[in-house]
Amino acid sequence: MAFHLPPEQAARLDGLFEQLTNRREHYIGYPCTADLDFRELYRFLDFPINNVGDPFKDGTYGLHTHEFEREVIEWFASIFHAPEDSYWGYVTNGGTEGNMYGLYLARELHPGGMCYYSQDTHYSVAKILRVLKMPHIMIKSLPSGQIDLADLRATLNIHRDVPPIIFANIGTTMREGVDDIPQIREILADLAIPESYIHCDCALSGMTLPFMEGAPEFDFRQRVDSLSISGHKFIGSPIPCGVVLANRSHVRHIARSIEYVGSLDTTISGSRNAMTPLFLWYAIHKWGKDGFRRRVASCLENTEFAMQRFAEIGVKAWRNPHAITVVFPRPPEEIRTKWQIAVHDEIGHLVVMPHISKEQIRAFIDDYAAALHDPQQTRQRIPRSDLCATLELTP
Amino acid sequence: MKQITVVAKECEDIATLIAEALASKGINIESITLETIDESSVVGLVVDQYDDALLALRDAGFDAVSEDALLIRVPDEPGSLAKIARRFHDAGIHVRSLRIIRRRQGRAIVAVSVDRTKQAFELVKDSIISEDRLRK
Repeated sequence: MAFHLPPEQAARLDGLFEQLTNRREHYIGYPCTADLDFRELYRFLDFPINNVGDPFKDGTYGLHTHEFEREVIEWFASIFHAPEDSYWGYVTNGGTEGNMYGLYLARELHPGGMCYYSQDTHYSVAKILRVLKMPHIMIKSLPSGQIDLADLRATLNIHRDVPPIIFANIGTTMREGVDDIPQIREILADLAIPESYIHCDCALSGMTLPFMEGAPEFDFRQRVDSLSISGHKFIGSPIPCGVVLANRSHVRHIARSIEYVGSLDTTISGSRNAMTPLFLWYAIHKWGKDGFRRRVASCLENTEFAMQRFAEIGVKAWRNPHAITVVFPRPPEEIRTKWQIAVHDEIGHLVVMPHISKEQIRAFIDDYAAALHDPQQTRQRIPRSDLCATLELTP
Repeated sequence: MKQITVVAKECEDIATLIAEALASKGINIESITLETIDESSVVGLVVDQYDDALLALRDAGFDAVSEDALLIRVPDEPGSLAKIARRFHDAGIHVRSLRIIRRRQGRAIVAVSVDRTKQAFELVKDSIISEDRLRK
């Protein structure tokens, strides 16, 4: 017999549903696609599915989606130009787990290595470095959000005897700055550094740059060692997820070392989500590479529309080349709350994801313009407490 | 007595804002010092609940540095952090972390975490911020 919640608890769920539905209308400040439709997959929620272990090795636990997960990995390997049979990967719980995996591989390969990452790197990376007990030096960022290559070169030059582990950003959180991997490679070659490791955090831009003409190269063509991408960002998923891909020979190396501790697989978790590989697999088939190319082109068009609208109201907004993130002066509190705008110091940003329409952009910028002319809001544009305290959580 | 240092944008009512954030969690400030360095406010705090204070400050969005880190000021130029790291490396001190807190007016405030803080302090005495707290 079907269970029914008591009326007051059912009403709470109805209230939550209504609240989420309303808030989605003004969801423009975070890089997560919100036009989701996975109803064809809802029936799989009736099973205790679990992708425990290596997706490329089926065990005795029969309720899994490994086959679909492998297809997802193969699809990402193709867009990131991984040579056939040279890669390994799995669907993660999000970009952070993928970054942790990449850094874990790096530490196992170069136990005495030093990790270098830029000032604009997501705060979760500092946590990972602490968990993995990896020594690290922060490198300055440029105003674009990219790593300052002059600082990186000078730093590497001083520490040439220590294998560098470069944590590169392919789209920083606030400005969508893309670190220049070919230049980083050139610096490593110039300094004749024999051993190094490059991991790319491609959280958002890993799904946009492969579908743009003339975008910078950051993937296995540049001999990166591993990369992590979020699944819930550009593709979109109701449950946070991601994909990590790594050079297979590195993974074999750690497979040897985990044998010593009697572990059975090379993934980080034990139980793993079996539903998220289905979401990604479904989206890949729904859109295909051409569909994603169209979605990216539409985002770029809307990004340009936002830039024009900001120019029309006299606000100096800017964006990086190939970015769908528009950076503008920090808006007043009321606008930030209504439109869910992430801020850092004096800037805020709009991330023009596939679900965002020109109408929403127009409405947001109209609100922004009205706030500029409202003396009360202008006075409160940057509250003192905000000026002093600037740390915010972002996915 | 363990100290916490908050580094924030220069802000005239920073002490009030910090006091409010701590008071809202029932944490008492036993002493507070405030200095302005390169357009940044550097606030030294001694409180009655150290770990809770670190959490409260983080939740309020402040960049709070625990006493486990040295706070130093270096020129904001390529390789300046690496030079500091090199000094430690040559002295056999293991650098766990070098983190830029703020960059202003050609100078950077940096939090350094090492395995031997006292020896490290001697090596970077010329660049240290809030020297008093380390002499305690």
